[in-house]
Amino acid sequence: MKRFLSTKGVIGASLVLLVLFVALIGPLLIAPEMATKMDMRARLAGPSFNHIFGTDQLGRDLFFRVMLGTQTSIGIAGTAVLLSIVIGLPLGIVSGYYRGHVDNVLMRLVDTLLAFPALLLALVISAMLGPNLQNTIIAVGIAFTPFLARIVRGEALRVAQMPYVEAARASGTNDLMMIVRHILPNIMPQVIVQATISLAFAILAEAGLSFLGLGTQPPNSSWGLMIQASRDYLDVAPWTALVPGGAVALTVLGLNMFGDVLRDVLDPRVKG
Amino acid sequence: MSFLLNRLLSIALTLVLISMITFAVTNILPGDVAMMIMGTQSNPEALAGLRQSLGLNDPLIVQYGRWVFGMLTGDWGNSLIFKVPITELLGQKIRSSALIVVLSMAIALAAAVPLGVWAAVHRNKWQDTLSSSTALLGVSLPDFFWGIMMILLFARALGWLPSSGVADPATDFGAALRYALLPSLALGLGLMAHLTRMTRSAMVGILNQEFVRVARAKGLSERVVIWRYALANAIGPVMTIAGLQVGYLFGSIIVVETLFNYTGMGWLTYQALLNRDVPLIQATVFVIAAVVMLINLLVDLLYVLVDPRIRLE
Repeated sequence: MKRFLSTKGVIGASLVLLVLFVALIGPLLIAPEMATKMDMRARLAGPSFNHIFGTDQLGRDLFFRVMLGTQTSIGIAGTAVLLSIVIGLPLGIVSGYYRGHVDNVLMRLVDTLLAFPALLLALVISAMLGPNLQNTIIAVGIAFTPFLARIVRGEALRVAQMPYVEAARASGTNDLMMIVRHILPNIMPQVIVQATISLAFAILAEAGLSFLGLGTQPPNSSWGLMIQASRDYLDVAPWTALVPGGAVALTVLGLNMFGDVLRDVLDPRVKG
Repeated sequence: MSFLLNRLLSIALTLVLISMITFAVTNILPGDVAMMIMGTQSNPEALAGLRQSLGLNDPLIVQYGRWVFGMLTGDWGNSLIFKVPITELLGQKIRSSALIVVLSMAIALAAAVPLGVWAAVHRNKWQDTLSSSTALLGVSLPDFFWGIMMILLFARALGWLPSSGVADPATDFGAALRYALLPSLALGLGLMAHLTRMTRSAMVGILNQEFVRVARAKGLSERVVIWRYALANAIGPVMTIAGLQVGYLFGSIIVVETLFNYTGMGWLTYQALLNRDVPLIQATVFVIAAVVMLINLLVDLLYVLVDPRIRLE
């Protein structure tokens, strides 16, 4: 608990909470029109009283756009990480718990998949399925699965050799009960830490995909898409890139700090 | 000898798996190459004819076999967008990308190792806070954001370096370097942040060990203890992480090369994906995955050189 209250933990947790708050509450308080209303007389206007973060090339308010983009970016990243857990967790557990041929085949496949850069894999899947919001989630989710499966497998392997698992086996616990009652709860800390870190990477990946036009598509608005749109106006209106870039940075920074502290707390083997 | 044979077999098997995954992922798309060539509005009969002549009606396993056979015999097919044999396209692209990958790795390592050591030595002091916070900020920003900042600062404001373009390192290395510098910096900064964190945590672990205390007790200077004793033990883990980061780097070059109009492998992959040029996608994806795999293997072998405690089995 004490370590959670370190400066790093407090800043990280506050940033994460702030972003979650904006993602959940933002759409209730901000009407979509406020982010899409074009003010042609105030195109690429700098930060001012009327538009505190300035406006983009169509005179749309960047403050409202970045607020509403939060939900898209967090939503995509969160669902993608969830997807990678849903696929990767069972694969990793089966591999680490049963070992033998299943493990050999699965981990050979996972190791090969790890040779494909995650962003490349996500880009290929998204381009092949046709870029849209749903396929961005699938692409990022699948691209992150090998990492997760690898970590889960290692943990399951470690836990499966613990004396208490042996004791449970001696008392006649069957495989399913063993996995649900003993393996799963004991690898959860690692999965949570990994999920936090993956979430940070997923936000970066979504931003990268959208930046290349192979992720979220207009009229949806995400941070990556906003940075992409800003490219042509960098000279005259650098804030169009700095505002969404700052949003990405703060979110990922928060998740990384929170993840670091979480790892220190949940994993006694790591001492910072 | 058996080690080498094992490794070679393992490489061959992995290459086969990489080719299978590449082929599988690029065949999940709705629509096909024939549609790509003739457009969606084309005459169905002509389309069917083209499909037949391209062999798209054959079972997937036959198509896969034909693709692999082509690659083994040097016939990688034609790019649909560039209308030239893919093998002709790759040479300069691979050289240009190799240049920025090597350069960014060099920049990252040159900065990250001293910074990480500095942070670990002054653990929990202001030096650590400064170095660690900078690194944390570094890993939190997307590479293309660094790229945009580099363009704004070095190309637009200062006018020192070009913000877009490429030169073939084989013909004019000086010019190639000028074009490669900004993309490499953009890639190197993010990478540096990761490696700084890794160096710090590896060094922190090692500085707590007994042999470091013994070295100090022996009266060795702090400089020798840190740079000769401790760092020698930390360099292995750092190298492994650097090797793993190569995969990440090859993902990032797609974004960064596109941003800088630096026409290397990343840019080529992006053009292929954007235009659904399936033969080109297959070729670039395969090359990238194979290179990442081989570099990681090389790092494993280098590890043995820097850390004599590890023996080849």
